[in-house]
Amino acid sequence: MANLGIDVLFKGTNFLRLLQGLWVSVEISLVSVAISILLGLVVGVLMTFNKLWLKAILKIYLEIVRIMPQMVLLFIVYFGTTRVFGWDITAEAAAIFVFSFWGVAEMGDLVRGSIKSIPKIQFESAYALGMDKKQTYFYIILPQTIRRLIPLSINLITRMIKTTSLVMMIGIVEVLKVAQQIIEANRKASPNAAFGVFAVVFLLYFIVCWPISRLAVYLEKRWA
Amino acid sequence: MDINILREYIPLYKDALFLTMKIGWQGILLSLILGLAGAAILHFRIPVLKAITGIYIEIFRNTPLLVQLFFIYFALPKVGIKITAETCGVLGLGLLGGAYMIETIRSGLESIPVIQTESALSLGMTKEQTFIHVILPQAISMSVPGLLANIIFLLKETSVFSTISLMDLMFTAKDLIGMYAKTIECLFLLVVFYLIMLLPVSILGSIVERRMRYGQFGD
Amino acid sequence: MRNKLLRRLSSGLLITAVVAASFTACGSKEDASATTETASAESNEDSTSDASSSAGFRTLDEIKESGTINIGVFSDKSPFGYVDENGEYAGYDVYFAERIGKDLGVDINYVSTEAANRIEYLQTGKVDIILANFTVTEERAEEVDFALPYMNVALGVVSPSDAVIESLDDIGADDQVIVISGTTAETYLTKNYPDIKLQKYDAYAEAKTAFENGNGVAWANDNTEVIAFSLENEGYTVGIPSLGDNDTIAPAVTKGNETLLTWLNDEITSLGDEQFFHADYEATLLDTYGADYEDTLVVEGGKVQ
Repeated sequence: MANLGIDVLFKGTNFLRLLQGLWVSVEISLVSVAISILLGLVVGVLMTFNKLWLKAILKIYLEIVRIMPQMVLLFIVYFGTTRVFGWDITAEAAAIFVFSFWGVAEMGDLVRGSIKSIPKIQFESAYALGMDKKQTYFYIILPQTIRRLIPLSINLITRMIKTTSLVMMIGIVEVLKVAQQIIEANRKASPNAAFGVFAVVFLLYFIVCWPISRLAVYLEKRWA
Repeated sequence: MDINILREYIPLYKDALFLTMKIGWQGILLSLILGLAGAAILHFRIPVLKAITGIYIEIFRNTPLLVQLFFIYFALPKVGIKITAETCGVLGLGLLGGAYMIETIRSGLESIPVIQTESALSLGMTKEQTFIHVILPQAISMSVPGLLANIIFLLKETSVFSTISLMDLMFTAKDLIGMYAKTIECLFLLVVFYLIMLLPVSILGSIVERRMRYGQFGD
Repeated sequence: MRNKLLRRLSSGLLITAVVAASFTACGSKEDASATTETASAESNEDSTSDASSSAGFRTLDEIKESGTINIGVFSDKSPFGYVDENGEYAGYDVYFAERIGKDLGVDINYVSTEAANRIEYLQTGKVDIILANFTVTEERAEEVDFALPYMNVALGVVSPSDAVIESLDDIGADDQVIVISGTTAETYLTKNYPDIKLQKYDAYAEAKTAFENGNGVAWANDNTEVIAFSLENEGYTVGIPSLGDNDTIAPAVTKGNETLLTWLNDEITSLGDEQFFHADYEATLLDTYGADYEDTLVVEGGKVQ
């Protein structure tokens, strides 16, 4: 195994640093998902409203998110905003902003879809029972949509964790950057470190994302 | 923003667009082939292959493309497997896309009512005939919106190719910023060229989706 | 029926609680962005957000007041700027950065940069000083302000010993030369040898791994770097040790940041009296280069010999 370069991970604090790098990715995605769920609920409800200007704005927003690669958005937010508006934001804040921007749109669309999927009869029955609009949404509609949304938002977490691998490009030291640093510092002693270290990074991502996506599948089946 | 700089950079972005499209569409083609093959394997529950397909889907759906590319491009040569950056891009995108395409096509297959199969079989068609002539055409038309969404997703993912020395749109922008520091012009062109590449596909997606809804309405 | 409603309600409440909790967690996280930077092993102190006050950069006094200076260094360019196995920044540039921090009496927040980002980081005020093997060129001097130099450099080309490239004319039409995006080697070859096909990478670690894997016939970069590579790795020869002009490497600050620039120049001049950069060489580069290169590489007191 030694010549495959896995041994470098046991030198010094290398492996620990790799895990810390992974945590940076996970942390950014968890925060972004939390923001996405909260604002996504609001945006999703807004999407069901029948106001033309509101629809137009939300449509453009959705389309931007759909078309622009996250990496492009990261660059625009991190470097572009400083250039144009003189804002100075940290790389982490830029990453969280971009991921939330993306997540809110996705969640919003999902929320809209699940509200629409609730049979009209549910609204009608609630009104017939004498509930007002607010009560109907709060007690009848939202609890049902939320249950449908949970698996989908769990899925969003894994997608975000995977996409955080891009934040290396704006200077955040996450797991891939740490991997490169380790390979570089040990190039002389173990020239094959690239294999072992990248293999471990590959595995680490899988270990984090796989259980989460299994959970989403399980909940989807159970609650569908 | 400086018009002269834009004019000077546009040819560079155009080359990058062609490269991105070339690798992107080759990768997408590969992903569709893998998707069809994988979906068929899962549909017919072919032993052994079914398990392999399952593992393949889980691995590629649960790791980032960037890490997959790093592994294929930088790590595999250390154990003697060497491929060029372009092949690596096509392979990486195709493998990632395949894992998503399988799921999309399979859910299309599952949406076809069992009675269709039963009717075809009772008409004397073989299992293979039923699949190719009756089930698959319907399943594919059912999955078109999903497939288009996957295609947009994959074309967007090409932006990570820059890390393995492919001069795609993202790389061209980063490289020009690094050399001449005309950030605003570079980012502006980057956005414009991604729009050129993806807006048509996205619009096509919305049209198809609307048509599909009308198609279902009469059922 | 009632049970079902109750269950639905409680699940709804639970979600809201979870969401609210994670939201507050993120609120407190914003002002402690240091936690997300743990991997860089240096505390952040959130100093970057203080910078927003002035026009794109922080003056000397503002830096002193905040107690932290942001210095952009390479984290994957051994032996100049890299991260050792204990997660500490090290190398020739870092040795100098440590001294700057000490003499200013502030903590250092290292920001890991790529070659192509260096100008951008300064212009957007995301770092105060770039100390990342930054070669002084005319084009760059229009974008940032360079202090006095502390190292000599030229371009060099390294290739595998069994197929040494000794002249750029040896490079075939289909051969690719590896360069790093945003370096002087890239600009020089693009301008003077437009026919040579370049294979560009963002990070040093990536370029070197690709070169080892045989993805290009040669690697063109600062000669300091390619010499170090051929000395540290067997089977590689520097066929072209010096290409283009002889240049220097210097710290850079945001354009117009006079106070910091003046301080840096004074610092470099006065460090010359104690032969600081020779000590730096002996501490960080001697292992790689041996004593032979000491006088050719080191620039002392900002004066090129």
